[in-house]
Amino acid sequence: MTKEEIIEKVNPLLAEEFEVEESEITPDAVIKDALELDSLSLVDLVAVIEHTFKVKIPAADLPTVKTFEDLYNYIESHQA
Amino acid sequence: MLYMDEQIFKLMPQRDPIVMVDAIYDAEGDTAHTGLTVTERNYFIEEDGRMAEPGLIEHIAQSASAFKGHLALLAGQPLPIGYIGEVKKFHCYLRPAVGDTLTTTVTLGAEVNGVTLMTGETRCGDTLVADTQMKIFVE
Repeated sequence: MTKEEIIEKVNPLLAEEFEVEESEITPDAVIKDALELDSLSLVDLVAVIEHTFKVKIPAADLPTVKTFEDLYNYIESHQA
Repeated sequence: MLYMDEQIFKLMPQRDPIVMVDAIYDAEGDTAHTGLTVTERNYFIEEDGRMAEPGLIEHIAQSASAFKGHLALLAGQPLPIGYIGEVKKFHCYLRPAVGDTLTTTVTLGAEVNGVTLMTGETRCGDTLVADTQMKIFVE
């Protein structure tokens, strides 16, 4: 899956799961701010990515995934 | 059958009258099947002889907790204590009655910093009784 395909797939999913406008999901936006993540909802993000792309984000890697651009790149580089 | 009745006490801290799991039938990978026979002594039984909906939530949460306890036991780790962090998409289709035997499938999902996303589905025979997603915090 190309990065563009990942973006097309993941943005609407995250907008629906976290009940935010898709327009708020931009490459430079900070994920935890845009999705209003807390310690409980963080696991929802990991679950959505794991379920959709079969890409597991270990807790140790989460600090490196700050923006949506980071997330797209992470998914792209960890696809099976 | 992996555990039944008081053997469950090895896996979780709850005791009568709040024990809501009395069997783990099997466990493989991320999934376990648990059970509960509903008795008159059940804490969540209401005047009409049926279980209140929170009893089903507690049953599913304890099923996950017992499963986590089983995994800890296998790994030689201390017994974990689990708390319900959040209940999502809970549906109760039928309140079970005294004498019913519930069978529940719990599947553990993503885990971040001790918070585990899990799904649970409870049946009585072939009839779907309840399903939900939960976040459980385990320490």
